[in-house]
Amino acid sequence: MQDNTTSASESRITGTRVVQLGIVAVVAILAVAAILLFSYLPDAGAFNDAVEEIFVVNDALTTTESIRILEILAQSGTTFSKVLASYRAIIFVLIVFATALLIACLVFLITIITLNRRMHEIEKSGIQVSSLVVSREEGVVYLNNMEFKLTAAAMETLSVLAEARMDDDVLSGAEIESMVSGKPASDCEEAAGATRIKRLRDTLGNQMVSELLVKNIARRGYMLAIDKDVIKMI
Amino acid sequence: MKQLILSLALMGLASTANATCFADYKAKMDNPLRLHYGVIELPDSACSVGAAASNIAGRLTGGWQLLEVMSVFDEAGLDSRRERAGQYYLRF
Repeated sequence: MQDNTTSASESRITGTRVVQLGIVAVVAILAVAAILLFSYLPDAGAFNDAVEEIFVVNDALTTTESIRILEILAQSGTTFSKVLASYRAIIFVLIVFATALLIACLVFLITIITLNRRMHEIEKSGIQVSSLVVSREEGVVYLNNMEFKLTAAAMETLSVLAEARMDDDVLSGAEIESMVSGKPASDCEEAAGATRIKRLRDTLGNQMVSELLVKNIARRGYMLAIDKDVIKMI
Repeated sequence: MKQLILSLALMGLASTANATCFADYKAKMDNPLRLHYGVIELPDSACSVGAAASNIAGRLTGGWQLLEVMSVFDEAGLDSRRERAGQYYLRF
């Protein structure tokens, strides 16, 4: 089974690498496009050369009038080649813009992906329960990525509740007590089950709050494990 | 009329000098491209298409570049080419 945990720093490193590769690829592709653009457009002399060749090859085009017409042809070609040169400049500017935009898009895309991952991490560390792993041998329950130690009795209660949840069942206090103790439900009291639930809530809630909110720093004291910007006193 | 007399005189000059070798050629000038067809007199030593090229190329002035020597001929071929060569008839 593949390890499906990600850390923020890991995703940032991959993201940076992807950005670098992407930028190199984008620049390379557009550089090749620019080179092709510049090498395949005819240069300004191309029209003159063509007219000159026509003049040399055709011996009939030697009268003054036909020579004049050839010269006019060459001049209009030269004018058109100036237009081509300006087109080339415009296309090059557009290519540069395209490069910049593609790079920006890539960076933003990677940023969004990284942020999404980090958001996912943040969600996991919050109250939203996205995974519950009950390990009966160790007497440990994992809520998301947080580890809580439970007493054997609390563990039994939680296991009963978890099994009932998987079957979409709702248990009464007497039923809980009967399943934990093994006695028939009719012999069990509702209050006994309620007490088990209360104990489970107490131990789990206490640990969860100390994990998420009221931290105990060893040999120093206690502090709220939250960002101070989020605190607001009314 | 004046041109005709001039060319007749030139012809006379050519015949009196006993130069019986001429060539017609194509030349060009760059930026902007200009072309001309011309007739030129050749010394007897350069009286062939191959030999005429270097001779003519050296004599063209004013930025003209020789493109091609078309043919070499004697006085009998002059009249038929005078009209076509226009101002480049025996100019250089």
